[in-house]
Amino acid sequence: MIIDSSKQVSRNHLFKRFPIPTNFGVTKESRVDRGKAWPVPAGATRTKSFEIYRYDPDSGRGPHVDTFELDLDDCGPMVLDALIWIKSKVDSTLTFRRSCREGVCGSCAMNMDGTNWLACTRFISEMESPARIYPLANMKIIKDLVPDQTHVFAQYAAIEPWLQSKTPTPERERRQSVEERSQIDGYYECILCFCCTSGCPSHWWNGNRFLGPAVLLQAWRWLTDSRDEAAEERLDKLEDPFRLYRCHTILNCTRTCPKGLNPGKAIAHIKKTMIERQS
Amino acid sequence: MASSSPSEPQRPLSPNIQLYRPQLTSVLSILNRLTGILLSIAAIALVIWLLAAAAGPQAYAIVQAALASWTGQVILFGCTFAFFLHFFGGIRHLVWDTVHGFELRTIYMSGWAVVAASIVMTAVAWIASVYIGR
Repeated sequence: MIIDSSKQVSRNHLFKRFPIPTNFGVTKESRVDRGKAWPVPAGATRTKSFEIYRYDPDSGRGPHVDTFELDLDDCGPMVLDALIWIKSKVDSTLTFRRSCREGVCGSCAMNMDGTNWLACTRFISEMESPARIYPLANMKIIKDLVPDQTHVFAQYAAIEPWLQSKTPTPERERRQSVEERSQIDGYYECILCFCCTSGCPSHWWNGNRFLGPAVLLQAWRWLTDSRDEAAEERLDKLEDPFRLYRCHTILNCTRTCPKGLNPGKAIAHIKKTMIERQS
Repeated sequence: MASSSPSEPQRPLSPNIQLYRPQLTSVLSILNRLTGILLSIAAIALVIWLLAAAAGPQAYAIVQAALASWTGQVILFGCTFAFFLHFFGGIRHLVWDTVHGFELRTIYMSGWAVVAASIVMTAVAWIASVYIGR
């Protein structure tokens, strides 16, 4: 009921989806149909069902949901272990991104049981039965669980996420006090997994112009960094009804961040700074 | 952008609202918007009621009868609840504008507080209206 940390899984079993049809308002090529039910592994005592979104651009077929039975005693504890088990023992065409397997790279971000998180830090035991694995919400899908992140990364590049200075480069480091350095705590740790942006309803409806929580969190990271000297120009770029102000403090972002960061707060800081500089 | 020549199929979009889990955050947010829309319509109904009161006893009697009917009372009850949800939700938004209350625990506590306050105040309003009417 009361969530203290984003790693807590939603416990409500009544309201798992909004009460709308499965393919509501979806274009023809995005319709999700029922797929194949893969066989139960022989000799397995403890099994769990996994419903996984599949899409193969070469097959000529639209997206569908395949059901796999996982042998829990043969597999590691995390959802990423489950995906690797399925890929190695059942269907080698299952495609997904992965790298660090410890929750620091952001590659395996996907939607599990309706919420976005990293597959390598989500326990199989926390998943429902059957577990539902879908790609990050509202993303163009390249194959299976692999989204096309070109657009979101282009939005990230648009905020110029690098140090900009007007004063001459110092001889050695750009010094900052402990207090100044602590200003970027909670913002520099973002791994750009885009769980937050792909879970933001405002980004679903206006993603072409609204920058989204991940990009805006990074915008705040640069605004609040004492070494950066282009704060005025950065804020000028956000003076636009869409780039920043499509945020309506829905706060799905803070709820879903797998690193426990707070994009909602960062955006509130930016909005406050925008008002303060007008006076 | 990625290649999209006519021979290649358009990339499908992964499900969003059809799939994403409703959470206190998104549910209260959309309720704030929906109650706002409902209250805008209710405001028009309020104007109709006031116009009927100004127009004379016959017109007023018609509108009062409509409001006193079962459907009228249910709608009125719904509008009261919507009013308090929107009101307390609005206060929550004003607090957020001061950049306070963004820790997840606070978000959830304030969210449930809004729901609880709305239920309590709707009950208080309706019970009080029974006594004021006497």
